[in-house]
Amino acid sequence: MAADHTLVVVFLRGAADGLNMVVPVEDDGYHRARPTLAVRKRDALPLDGFFGLNHALAELLPLYREGELAVLHGVGSEDGTRSHFEAQDLMERAGQGGGGWLARHLRRRPGPRGGALSAVAVGEMLPECLRGAPSATALDSLEAFSLGDGGAAFTTGIADLYAREQGHLGDAARDTLRSLARIDDLRSASYTPAAEYPTEPFAQGLKLVARLVKARLGLEAAAVDLDGWDTHFAQDSLMPSLMRRLAEGVAAFRRDLGGDFARVSLVVMTEFGRRVAENSALGTDHGRASIMLAAGGGIRGGRVMAEWRGLESGLLEGPGDLPVATDYRDVLAPVLARHWGAGHLPEVFPGHAPAPVALY
Amino acid sequence: MNRRAFLLLGACATLGVVVGCDSVVEALPGGEFPRGPLEAPDSTTLDPVSHMLNRTTFGARPGDWQRVRALAPDPHEAAQRFAAAQLDPGSVRDLPGFWARSRFDHLEEPLGEHYEYNEKRLLAELVGATVARAAASERQLFEVMVQFWSDHFNIDPTKEDCRWTKAADDRDTIRAHALGDFGDMLRASALSPAMLWYLDGQANRAAAPADKPNENYARELLELHTLGVDGGYTQRDVMEAARCLTGWTAHPLKPFKTGKVEFVPALHDDGEKVVLGRRIEARGGPGDLDQLLDIVKNHPSTARNIARKLCVRFVADEPSGALVAEVAREFLRTAGSIRATLAALLGHQEFLSSRSCKFKLPFHFVVSSLRATGARTDGGEGLVRFLQRMGHTPFHYGTPDGYPQEPHPWLGTMLWRWNFAAALAEDRIKGTRARTDAVAALHGGAEHALGHLFGRRATPDEARAILGSGRPLALALSAPAFQRF
Repeated sequence: MAADHTLVVVFLRGAADGLNMVVPVEDDGYHRARPTLAVRKRDALPLDGFFGLNHALAELLPLYREGELAVLHGVGSEDGTRSHFEAQDLMERAGQGGGGWLARHLRRRPGPRGGALSAVAVGEMLPECLRGAPSATALDSLEAFSLGDGGAAFTTGIADLYAREQGHLGDAARDTLRSLARIDDLRSASYTPAAEYPTEPFAQGLKLVARLVKARLGLEAAAVDLDGWDTHFAQDSLMPSLMRRLAEGVAAFRRDLGGDFARVSLVVMTEFGRRVAENSALGTDHGRASIMLAAGGGIRGGRVMAEWRGLESGLLEGPGDLPVATDYRDVLAPVLARHWGAGHLPEVFPGHAPAPVALY
Repeated sequence: MNRRAFLLLGACATLGVVVGCDSVVEALPGGEFPRGPLEAPDSTTLDPVSHMLNRTTFGARPGDWQRVRALAPDPHEAAQRFAAAQLDPGSVRDLPGFWARSRFDHLEEPLGEHYEYNEKRLLAELVGATVARAAASERQLFEVMVQFWSDHFNIDPTKEDCRWTKAADDRDTIRAHALGDFGDMLRASALSPAMLWYLDGQANRAAAPADKPNENYARELLELHTLGVDGGYTQRDVMEAARCLTGWTAHPLKPFKTGKVEFVPALHDDGEKVVLGRRIEARGGPGDLDQLLDIVKNHPSTARNIARKLCVRFVADEPSGALVAEVAREFLRTAGSIRATLAALLGHQEFLSSRSCKFKLPFHFVVSSLRATGARTDGGEGLVRFLQRMGHTPFHYGTPDGYPQEPHPWLGTMLWRWNFAAALAEDRIKGTRARTDAVAALHGGAEHALGHLFGRRATPDEARAILGSGRPLALALSAPAFQRF
């Protein structure tokens, strides 16, 4: 079992338009449905002859060409509400197993319980996928994670007050105290990343994750969010900068990690995709399937994996949406199985009949 | 300060920058720290008065318990009298709230004026006023409900013209109706310039037959504002509701018309619609909006959705179905009277018996710390920095569902609660200062002051850990008992 492997989950919140990111340039239905928004074939970066990459994602192309990054198209969940919050919750809970899927994985996987920094959410809040994790820390920089000067008596007092506190509050307090001790140690060591990151928060979050990975503190799972994909309106002015942030952040993360990238699996997901046809406000409304990305840790990339049936109206679902051909759990499960074994997967994804995608 | 001076000062508008940290708090208008003894009930569990104060306010100030307890010989009766007064905010004299608001009088100007301000300053004023009023106002239940509805009708004030229009939405939608009539608030929200910008009502138009409506607002109207996600509507209802709302437009920055909301017949789909099985006749024009809102606001699912959210805020994270049903019945019976609905909730046995089981969200924790220590605050950067670190600054949530109300997402904020507690206790927050005798009382080893903070007598373990530590106030505010309400 890989005791030293880290799963990094990037969630694109707001329902990212997969059709605009990995473009079916050879599909006539696509161009017909999006007279204004379609990416023309000559403007896309060729991936496999049928799909092209939006040029705003150009920084991901080297990973793809090196065979480290796989693209999955037509991925989604069983959610039919087309509600962001319902669909995110459903995807992050992944069934009625109690708590989030990542939390259940951390709890049920073989091996000893993870340490204080075994699960980190970059930012201020813990996402739903980590609900019920044995330990989870919201963290956005090492410098900020401190109780200030002269904290010894204060820290002792807090430890006393929470020593017998039951339930989530007591667990959260004790995890925080343990993380504080570890981060104090890490902070006192000198460190320079091996790649330059953009200064915006998403890339900085990945920089922090890379540092924790390299320090071998037992980080098993990291959740990083990139918000703002709900492009009902003026999509072409909103999406390129988001795609650039995604691609530049991931590319820097890859460069920074060097050989350690083999100890990392990175997946990128979103709650659902967007309607095939554009709307009257040069945007797209809520749809069904979108894309996922998977990279690192031995994933056999350089492929767009899709069961593509086309975008003719008879092939679409509901109000005109790309149907889900691949369940998101069938992308996550093989990654977990590869590094932590498959024995606990029925508890991670309860009620799901597995049909794992051949990522490896 | 007049508008010109405000604009000139820009980002340095707090007095603190001009006159230095120490004088800021003394320079605040309204003069003095709240008075009252640092004592509380001498019981080992929360009494009905402490419970009512916990749930209907952002925390008890020094003396609050004594004042409320004196309202009637029986503690239950005293608590209910306090609640009744809080439900009628006009009856509560509110000089502290007046003074807190007075420093942010730009917020009271007409919407058109707001377009002339720097949007970052306008947002900082709105945040500052919200924090200052929550901390100081005597109309505490009103302020609690302002926060509740701000999340219910959440708007991200960084999107397009929301940058200038959210401040007026706070005043004209949320505060205007926070304890009023739900239908009035819903209509004000539907026609609020900020909401039209935020959920793309601006882009929801049917200029040509082929135009598809923009369903963003219509979806959230059904999913979040009224019926709730399991409320029994379909994708088709979303699209039909969106059709009803085509043509409503807020004017962007333009001479004379800035921010004004108008119905533009040429952009309205005037055909027949069917929403939730109810027919809206063709050629309804602007009346489609009222028919639509009538259908959704009187729907039983809406009553259930609002009742459940209220029960989660005031009673327990998992309120019983029976309680929710009873509160929903009152909502329906009174056609959406928020005051009557809350009165039913606050008098319910399940409310009375669910003491100290709720986890304070960070804003609540911060404001209750200020109130418990009798602190005064300018609501400025020094204080807001802590809310930012805990991810709970008012008006800083991006999606329309509002800040999550359950404990889980906030369990990662413990470190910053402790840091805030230490900073407040040690007078290190610029523009905010606790009443010095509150600090001194704890440093003097006064156990009764712990009772004030916890609303009950401290346990021997608590007293030992806190009073022997050398940093008693910081620890008391950091303690598990002070994270609950």
